[in-house]
Amino acid sequence: MNKEDVIGLSSMPLQSPTYPRGPYKFFNRQYMVISYKTDPAAIREHLPEPLEPVSDVVAVQWLDLPDGQGFGAYSAAAQIIPCTYKGEACNFVSQMYVDNSPPLAGGREIWGYPMKYGKAVLEVHGDTLTGNLHYAGQRIATGTMVYKHDAFRGDLSAERDMLARTQVTLKLIPDIDGKPAIAQLVAINFEDVVVKGAWAGAARLELLPSVNCPLFDLPVKHVVGGMQIITDMTLPYGRVLHDYLA
Amino acid sequence: MKVEQILQLPSMPAASPSYPMGPYRFVNREYMIITYETDKDLLRQAVPEPLEPNPDGLVLYEWIRMPDSSGFGDYTESGVVIPCLYKGEPINFTAQMYLDDEPPISAGREIWGFPKKYALPKLEVCSDTLTGTLHYAGQLVAMGTMAFKHQESPGGVEAAAKGMTKTQCNLKIIPDVDGSPKICQLVAYNLIDITIKGSWLSPARLHLIPHVNAPAADLPIKRIVGGKHFIGDLTLPHGRVLFDYLK
Repeated sequence: MNKEDVIGLSSMPLQSPTYPRGPYKFFNRQYMVISYKTDPAAIREHLPEPLEPVSDVVAVQWLDLPDGQGFGAYSAAAQIIPCTYKGEACNFVSQMYVDNSPPLAGGREIWGYPMKYGKAVLEVHGDTLTGNLHYAGQRIATGTMVYKHDAFRGDLSAERDMLARTQVTLKLIPDIDGKPAIAQLVAINFEDVVVKGAWAGAARLELLPSVNCPLFDLPVKHVVGGMQIITDMTLPYGRVLHDYLA
Repeated sequence: MKVEQILQLPSMPAASPSYPMGPYRFVNREYMIITYETDKDLLRQAVPEPLEPNPDGLVLYEWIRMPDSSGFGDYTESGVVIPCLYKGEPINFTAQMYLDDEPPISAGREIWGFPKKYALPKLEVCSDTLTGTLHYAGQLVAMGTMAFKHQESPGGVEAAAKGMTKTQCNLKIIPDVDGSPKICQLVAYNLIDITIKGSWLSPARLHLIPHVNAPAADLPIKRIVGGKHFIGDLTLPHGRVLFDYLK
């Protein structure tokens, strides 16, 4: 392969790039977001400077992604810390677990999504919307939410606001000598968001301590509530918010 | 988390880095390598300039069991390695790699540019046969078999250890946040502190099944040259930039 074609590759490996070029469109992307109160000191510890905490509320979310362009069908779970950057409200994505190579590698390498391999499942069991997360063979998180109790609510602005919020990730890529090559806060804004359905209701959340999947490090003190959303949206490229090496 | 702490992090996520700082020590790493001859034109396409593929059209298909790997744990790997020349010097280019453990996938890609994807490789002794399989996205894509320890390799463990010092290289590609290339390099490294505990040559066979996302069969098998089986301890250190496509 000649040098021009090498520079044009979207990703490794040369013979079958793990992920194609973006942006990436998602259809019928389903969320269950459970917000809860935690320890403010633990939030401060988890938020990279210069992000600032805004409250003692964080969220664990499950995502079912049946149709992600370039990525396929997979599931994810994430821990989100609402915060501010220079006064602007944003969501810091602190941990994320997926069960599929292309979004895992693409997520880390393009935007710095903090992804590891974990088995998340989001499904309806009888009357209960149920999220489970297994990491290295152990169950680490279970979330449950009532199923569409407010089916005729007209105002979906809270859900739209959540999806419109700037997401922030801490992108770290080492150089070949082990020193940091990239250390940035990256901002991402979803595009073409269509909310196809959204529901709010009672929820419960259990987190178990595990060293390599440490959701429990932001312990659950009190569950605020749950949110279920079905959406089509586009994940575009991002922008550098803050460069630690500049 | 303070800036000084952030700059000390070995990897993402900050809350629990995927991999620690290297180097990485491997104990009882077991290899089955089946060498075969393929189509020379197809081999040329699979090798990035300025590397030159070996003139004999040889490819190495590998399985590696890694039961004890510092920072990474217990996992198995399978993939395609192409013997090449860089400025006339022999070098092994890693073309494809499949493994079942996230930290070495992320560290492999992000530090050295190993072209790693998640899949389910297996290397085991099934009665009289050393057997390697690779499943990708639910499908069998490779099966290698080798007679079990028929002959100790010539030169013994010393020669095998010397062979492991050969320079290896990868094509490291990391995009920028806007999708443009941020890192595009040939990266070289050499294994160190190598102790080989046993090394054998035996007859082997290899079967590759076409799969779009695990395209080992894109380098078709014309002739099997032979199989090599060895076990050892070694250290994978950081590497060096051999060639930078962006400069």
